[in-house]
Amino acid sequence: MIEIKNIRIRRGTALVFDSYSATILNKGATLLAGPNGAGKTTLVSAIAGSTPLEAGEILINGNDISALKPSRFAQMRSVAPQRRFFTLAFSVAEIIELSPTHLRSSDWLEVIETLGLNQLKSKKVTELSIGQQQRVSLGLSLIQEADFYLLDEPFSAQDSNFQKAILEIIDIRAKEKGVLVASHNTDALRSHFSHEIAIK
Amino acid sequence: MKRRFLYLSLAIALVLLFILSLQIGLIHLHQSVFSLIGKNNSVDATTVWDVRFPRAFGAVVIGCALGVAGALSQGIFKNPLAEPTLIGLSSGATFGTILGIATGLAGYGSWVNCLMATAGTAIAATVIQLLAPNKNFGFLLTGIAFSSILTSVAGLIISISRRPGIASITFWNFGSLSLVNFSTIRTILPFVLAGIILAFFLAPGLNIWSLGEDSAFYMGMNINRFRYLNILAIALLIGPAVSAVGSIAFLGLLVPHVVRLVVGPMHRHLILLSGLLGAIVLLISDLLARAAFAPHEVPLGLLTSALGAPVLIILLRARRAAWVVEQ
Repeated sequence: MIEIKNIRIRRGTALVFDSYSATILNKGATLLAGPNGAGKTTLVSAIAGSTPLEAGEILINGNDISALKPSRFAQMRSVAPQRRFFTLAFSVAEIIELSPTHLRSSDWLEVIETLGLNQLKSKKVTELSIGQQQRVSLGLSLIQEADFYLLDEPFSAQDSNFQKAILEIIDIRAKEKGVLVASHNTDALRSHFSHEIAIK
Repeated sequence: MKRRFLYLSLAIALVLLFILSLQIGLIHLHQSVFSLIGKNNSVDATTVWDVRFPRAFGAVVIGCALGVAGALSQGIFKNPLAEPTLIGLSSGATFGTILGIATGLAGYGSWVNCLMATAGTAIAATVIQLLAPNKNFGFLLTGIAFSSILTSVAGLIISISRRPGIASITFWNFGSLSLVNFSTIRTILPFVLAGIILAFFLAPGLNIWSLGEDSAFYMGMNINRFRYLNILAIALLIGPAVSAVGSIAFLGLLVPHVVRLVVGPMHRHLILLSGLLGAIVLLISDLLARAAFAPHEVPLGLLTSALGAPVLIILLRARRAAWVVEQ
């Protein structure tokens, strides 16, 4: 379980969250819904441990995330940020190999196939379209074995076929793990999610 | 296959250039260097073994250090222009050295000098990356600004210091291998070797690091420890190089770019091949510095800049996609 307890987060001078609390369950998919600018990305990155809290705490399986060792934390949560910048001209195959082997999920080859990355393997990641880069980025996160998957706007640059493919993987992961998906375009997605957190 | 061929051909080029560096110089040898092996009883033999050999060996060690440090620095600061001279790390080393001489600490031995330069580099790198507002121009400009501060304070120390010989640093600052001898090499080699070994083990992490610090953290990396280990490795390479021969520009910028264009961005090969190519480029530069305008010797740093800068411009225009700068 992820417990968000009375957190306060500031972005610049603006107060984004104040005494905010929420819970994400161990199993099942949770939709994090809210309009643009509501703080979805901020909340995901706070749970992921890269945005510091001004007050309150976030516990993952009972552990305060600010006290977790990075290597231990990586076994507990895998994160797909809204956008990853690929600065060096690695091939897609090389990028996938960067995912640490000791954290690789047993079904990683199927995930890569489902995301359509096998066809891109020899392409340079810096020369892909935004949508293709997003799938590479999602692939990196979804093949990491973790208790929770935090996905920030995973569908934003995808056509309907790949939206379906990604939802398929989310369904599989949600059977045994906790999945949190932040999205501003929620109407078509609701049926895939057992829980919802709405922020305004 | 391609990589193995590259390692092999660069290694052969290095050996040939090394032999050439022993053969060619101001004093014309009457025989080949091979006939002087094991001898030390003539002017020719003394020239080759006591003067040219340490100088060529120094070029290999320092060229290798600068190449590896350039690759590390571009990788850890995620900036294609993050070359140690350009972003003020060499100024840190120079400052450390001058402080050592002015305070008299350097009198305790040349390794103290080396240590001061290493510490100067590490501190400059730490301060610049803490002050920089972003990874792009903000980072470069912070480096350039901080470098100016260090250079002016160093100049001030030189002006007011009463230590004899401190003014000769002005020439040394341009970079020259003419003062390198066996004792210099004995001093810097342990530092440089430690730096290269550390760089070798940090290399795989730099691949992950290129995805962004957050991504590296999500994959389980301790990002602060990683950052400072890289700075330590860079300092172990740049500090001794600058303390021994002064600041040599462009080599650390150019060499990793050339290697990356040929073998791609995988850091383990990038680092090893940058070391090899760095040694080769410095040997060639030193040969030119000694031979091209004989009997005058040209400061090495001038030559590496004059050769390196145009090549870099051509390369950058030809293959822009080799590095995409984060917005």
